[in-house]
Amino acid sequence: MVERLDLTFAALADPTRRAMLASLASGERSVGELAAPHAMSFAGAAKHLTVLERAGLIERRKAGRQQLCRLKAEQLGEADRWLRQWENFWTGTLDRLEAIILEDQKEPKK
Amino acid sequence: MTGPVVLTVTRDFAASPERVFDAWLDPAVARHFLFATPDGEMLTCEIDARVGGRGLIVERRTSGDAHHHLQFEVIERPSRLVFLFRADPAEEGQWTRVSIEIESRGDGARLTLTHDMDPQWAAYEDQTRKGWTMILGSLARTFGENS
Repeated sequence: MVERLDLTFAALADPTRRAMLASLASGERSVGELAAPHAMSFAGAAKHLTVLERAGLIERRKAGRQQLCRLKAEQLGEADRWLRQWENFWTGTLDRLEAIILEDQKEPKK
Repeated sequence: MTGPVVLTVTRDFAASPERVFDAWLDPAVARHFLFATPDGEMLTCEIDARVGGRGLIVERRTSGDAHHHLQFEVIERPSRLVFLFRADPAEEGQWTRVSIEIESRGDGARLTLTHDMDPQWAAYEDQTRKGWTMILGSLARTFGENS
C-alpha cells in the first residue's frame, strides 16, 4: 500500500498534473482538452496522463478517435486518509501543549 | 522520484513565543505533550538542544515501546525550530523534517508546524523547493462529492 501511495504522491507532486486532476473533477475530458491550457503537445500531455493512470488516479477509454479521461477518486482518498492520520497526530500534540501552557498560567509556580 | 508532500497545522497560543518555543526543548515539559499518548507511560525523554543534537523519546504503550528520534537542524529562539524526525520502525535513513515557526500575535503566539513527509527530503539542503499544503485533502473532498 505504501508503494502505491508513493506513486500517488509522486503523481501529485507536479503542478500540471494537479491542474489536470482539478479539471477532471468536473467531468470527463479528452486528452486534447486537458493539454490545451498548458500549451503542451498531445504527446506531452499523454506522458502526464500515463503517470496519473499508473498511480491509479485516472482511467482512460477510447471514444471513436478520441481518448477520454476520467477521475478515479478512490486512490486519492487513500492518500488523504494517510495524511489525515498525521494531521490528527500533530493536532493532538498541539492540544496537549496548549493544555500544559494553560495549566501553568493558572498556577505560575512550576 | 517521490515529490514533496507537506502537511501544515497552525495553532494560536495564549502565551509568549518564548514560552511556546521552550516547551519543545525542555524535557520536563516535552515529556507531557511530545509523542505522549493518554494511556502511555513515558520512559525516556532526552533532548540535546543544540544544532546537530539528538533527541530520544520513548513511550511504553500497550502495543509496545514507541521510539521517536529527533535531530535538530535549526534552533532560533523564539521563532524557528527545525528537526528531523523518525519513529521506529523506520530505517535510519528514513527521516522526515518538521519545521516549527512561531510568531508573536497580539498577546499570544501563533505556531505553524510543517511536516515534510518525503523521507528523501532530509537529504536535500535546498530550501527553495516548496511543497504544497493540504491540497490533497481539499482535492479528495471535491472529488468525493462528484463520484
